Amino acid sequence: MAVYKRTYKGYSGPLTSPLWRFTVLQRYAFKAIFKSRFLLIGYVACFFVPLLAICFLYLNQNASLLAMVGQKPGFLKIDAGWFHNFLTAQAVLAGVLTAFVGPGLVAPDLANGALPVYLSRPFSRFEYILGKGLVLGSLIASITLFPLLTLFGIQSSLVGYQWFEKNLYIGGGILFSCLTIMVVFILLGLSMSAFVRWRIVAGALVLAVFAAGKGFGAVINGVMRTSNGYYLDLQYLLSTIATDLFRQTPEDPPISPLSAWAAVITFCVLLLLLINRKLRVCEVAG
Amino acid sequence: MTQPVIELADLHVKIGKREILRGLNLELRGLTVGLLGPNGAGKSTLINTLLGFWKPTQGTARVLGYDVRTDARQIRAQIGYMPENDSFIADMPAISYVRMAAELSGLPPDAALERAHESLFYVGLGEARYRKLGAYSLGMKQMAKLAQAIVHGPRLVILDEPTNGLDPQARIRMIKLIQEMRALGTMNLVICSHLLRDIEETCEEAVILKAGQVVHYSNLEEERASNRRFVEIETEGDDGTFADAIELLGCACAVTAPGKIKTVLPEGIEIRDIYRLAADRDVQLRRLNYRRDSLEDIFLKAMER
Repeated sequence: MAVYKRTYKGYSGPLTSPLWRFTVLQRYAFKAIFKSRFLLIGYVACFFVPLLAICFLYLNQNASLLAMVGQKPGFLKIDAGWFHNFLTAQAVLAGVLTAFVGPGLVAPDLANGALPVYLSRPFSRFEYILGKGLVLGSLIASITLFPLLTLFGIQSSLVGYQWFEKNLYIGGGILFSCLTIMVVFILLGLSMSAFVRWRIVAGALVLAVFAAGKGFGAVINGVMRTSNGYYLDLQYLLSTIATDLFRQTPEDPPISPLSAWAAVITFCVLLLLLINRKLRVCEVAG
Repeated sequence: MTQPVIELADLHVKIGKREILRGLNLELRGLTVGLLGPNGAGKSTLINTLLGFWKPTQGTARVLGYDVRTDARQIRAQIGYMPENDSFIADMPAISYVRMAAELSGLPPDAALERAHESLFYVGLGEARYRKLGAYSLGMKQMAKLAQAIVHGPRLVILDEPTNGLDPQARIRMIKLIQEMRALGTMNLVICSHLLRDIEETCEEAVILKAGQVVHYSNLEEERASNRRFVEIETEGDDGTFADAIELLGCACAVTAPGKIKTVLPEGIEIRDIYRLAADRDVQLRRLNYRRDSLEDIFLKAMER
């Protein structure tokens, strides 16, 4: 039927699987995100360091090239510390990406009350949060988890199975550190976006959580001569967890990895409560 | 007998500590049902309960045979909902918004796109479908909300205050659309409004709520039919005996002014008998009105209870 014909007919065609319906949100969200040239350039720039690292790993094992400068393959040590440093760099970029992308996910839906349009369909609140969260999750994973695992795989293939077997814990460290960072950043992005419906302010709040936490934490540590202030420093907490997973924990850390885990889990629960409170269909008891 | 569209049995809903709906009992089967009531009567809470946003604290509510407590997902798959308040994504073009709504209801992307175009043309936004919703006027936003509510071909469409904030022309357009949708006969409509005229012009059944209770149920179609018997006539060329002639037919009759007659037609007497009588007596019928209780009369009576 030609679209200009002003008639209405019912729909009796096939339906998509309800299991994967949350991916609809991802498709529309990605389209909106990458419509911004600024975000697209920023996202592409996040792959600059991983590409350099791949070249570096290759050169570090290239005997003929290294011979020209009088070095042997593996002259620079690639160990857990190297991967940890790489993860730290990429996690900072992931934080910035969260601040720019996160607020655009939920805030526009809440600003003009679009939530009932989603939730009056065979689509649950959980699916909504999952769909929106996976947008941020896949972007963060693409600049942290996947590049790190790729680097780990390249290094293993260049050096050999023995290195892989000996350093398998690095793979575990990469996986669990990145997953932790992803979960925290997703919840932070979504909750700030739901808490403040103005995108710019929500983005600033994401960064402020890191900056303010660090600042307050330092003040508490300085004034009260304690290390309890570190519990407010989200960046420090995540770093402590990653350090532990990469088996890099110093002898006497200011807070134990276990305490860091507990603090991060508490923080995530608080963010979940905030999301649960804010992402409700507006009710008018008329 | 057809399955009720909405079936409520002793439905109670509490929000916080306040009981909003207090023991509603209803069976609605009409193609278009109007929910009427003053502010705070519980109209929106009832709609939100039917959509599964609120759980009943007592009693049951069934929509198209499904229980709202256990089958909310199935109910939502069959429903199109046009919310009362703003419900749009400002920087999204209408076509994407309606298409996304269709996809969330389960339509494959291609079918959703086709249906989005059709729905927007249907509600009269064809030429503006690529414009961002944030740039729409209030009337256009209402139409876009209607388009997203019908895009997936629902069996039941719930319209919450569809003419809210519309200027007279836009209101007429919306009412006409609802009447057209009713005429299609393929979907049931529940229209929630505090504007009696909207309900009167579009609905077959009306339920009046007050303080969370049903205070009146009215089958408007039947009432229209029953009140048809009351007729007001204005004549020209009547020598004063036309009223007597009508009475001889068996009608109760009263002359209110020269040439103005009010009569009640009993069973077996049709309006054509009046025409015939006038023709036989060479009387011109200048005006002939059926008078009936308006919904306003019904509503005001219900509010007095």
